[in-house]
Amino acid sequence: MKRSSVLMSTIGAVTLAALAHGASAQETLTINSFGGSYEQTHRDLVITPFEEMYNVKVEVVTAYSADTLAQLRAQKDNPQFDVVHFSGGLEHAAAAEGLLSPIEPSELSNYDQMYSFAVAGLDKGIGPTYSTAVIGLLYNTDEISEAPTSWKDIADEAYADHVLITDAASNTYGLLGFLMLNQVAGGSLDDIEPGLDFVKGILPTSTVVSKSPEIQQNFAQGNARIAPYAQDYAYTLTKAGLPVKFVQPDEGGVLAPITVNLVAGTKKRDLALKFIDFSIRAEASKGWAEALRYTPTNKNAELSEEVASQVVYGEEDVAKLVTFDANEIAAKRSAWNEAWSRAIAK
Amino acid sequence: MSTGTMRLSREPALLLSPGLLFLLLAFFFPAIQLLAQSFLTVGAEAGRFTLEHYAKVVVDDFYAGVALRTFRLALIITALCLLIGFPLAVVMSRAGPTLRTILIVLIILPLMTSVVIRTFGWLVILGPGGVLSWTLQQLGLIERSMSLMHTETGVVLAMVQVLLPFLVLTTLGSIGQIPASLEEASRTMGAGFFGSIYHVTLPLSVPGLASGSLLVFALSISSFITPSLVGGVRLQVMAGSIYQQMTGSFDWGFGAALSVILLVITLMLIVPYMVITSRVGGRT
Repeated sequence: MKRSSVLMSTIGAVTLAALAHGASAQETLTINSFGGSYEQTHRDLVITPFEEMYNVKVEVVTAYSADTLAQLRAQKDNPQFDVVHFSGGLEHAAAAEGLLSPIEPSELSNYDQMYSFAVAGLDKGIGPTYSTAVIGLLYNTDEISEAPTSWKDIADEAYADHVLITDAASNTYGLLGFLMLNQVAGGSLDDIEPGLDFVKGILPTSTVVSKSPEIQQNFAQGNARIAPYAQDYAYTLTKAGLPVKFVQPDEGGVLAPITVNLVAGTKKRDLALKFIDFSIRAEASKGWAEALRYTPTNKNAELSEEVASQVVYGEEDVAKLVTFDANEIAAKRSAWNEAWSRAIAK
Repeated sequence: MSTGTMRLSREPALLLSPGLLFLLLAFFFPAIQLLAQSFLTVGAEAGRFTLEHYAKVVVDDFYAGVALRTFRLALIITALCLLIGFPLAVVMSRAGPTLRTILIVLIILPLMTSVVIRTFGWLVILGPGGVLSWTLQQLGLIERSMSLMHTETGVVLAMVQVLLPFLVLTTLGSIGQIPASLEEASRTMGAGFFGSIYHVTLPLSVPGLASGSLLVFALSISSFITPSLVGGVRLQVMAGSIYQQMTGSFDWGFGAALSVILLVITLMLIVPYMVITSRVGGRT
């Protein structure tokens, strides 16, 4: 037993060495992904098929958006990444600092299939949004027979004591949900008072949480019946067996884009562009919706009825989605955090 | 003779050096850096001396409120630990070896559980629709479902559970050093069971009670995981505020100022307490 395993691993090592030797002739593309099941899905949908199609090797560095931005800054003169993925709006900061390269629409064969919001920043260096989270309302289908239609419904007395609000100071989805409540209440990015007043009004009959597992606990224990949060998390709850459904309110859901960006100064611009183009093809867009319930950003992504009912999908619904300026959010976030903490403090 | 004393003083220094080096690197160096940061400007004119971070804490009643809550909770937690811990330590000191081992294991069990699991346990008990709420409802004591999650009571309960062993174990050490003959003497001279504990055991265990309660106080004032998980985002304590300034708002200067204030107030409370208790402990 032991000898055979030694033999096997020797054979394995030799094979690997041979493969590695063969691979050295291949071109290598260096990208980041976000780890865990996300990265696995990323490999299945994009990375592995891309490697096979173009006979190249894709080196994946597991790094969240903030780490990736830090690395890009440090490697500014000699970038090690060719393509980087960002969530949480950090591509705006990176593009503003000249760390990302603009892309011409003609450089992407799938450009025409994309929703306009997904390719709006190409000329500034912001890569295409290859899939997007959407913030809307999650509700308990056992307790609530008629789906809520407006963000303001969370103030409905029928839900009193069962409203779950996510902390806007420590949770990006919480912040985006709050900004939308603020907009619906008559505020803007220059004035969040209406939103704060709205939240203060429902605080006595709400629970405020800061981490997504707490959302699951509160739905599981029956404390939460309605909560502004993300469509993909509704799917996590459904998979856990909870009677939870996501709905985009009439005023629109909020986009939380995930982008694939071309690093400025990469020596493999052509291959990197091919990878980006490959990332936004309809099949990948569809795959993200099927695996994690992110909204497709490619208009040609055809979803099954079941998946389509769980994500914001189709031109009519996608047109309702709201985008908040990531640069403005970054500039004001610290002041907002402070105002928010005060507003909700007991 | 002189070389002998030289060697004697050099060897302890050598033995101390790993610990000292560690303390220097892991505590004094960052603490001094934090202290510097709390007095320096950030942004466009970074690095100038400023008092603005401190001014913000003093002027703003929000942070004064957070500080007040932090110290109030720490005092309540320490008092409760003393109240529960001392009798427990007395019982443990008199118990047979088997019973004592069982009690010790029981009391340090919460310490060996991860904070997440412990907090989840409290959620199941204290949360809306939890065991406590259900029981009270069945007994007809309350009408609507209630929750101690996200309340100060919940935080105090959860913190006392974790910190109790620190007090009990230090006090147990003190009581163990009291010769049994002293208590026997007091009993033969007419003191009752409780009288003997009050007049003999209690004064003699002051050193243990003092160091135990100091530990409890220091740990509860600086803890933020349990308060943030059980207390939630709406009940901020100082350590949680500091954490948020450092990692959420990236306002390191202000976070540093809050840290320094926390340290200074803690020292202001702890030093007199140590002096007083050492006098009380020493006199008897």
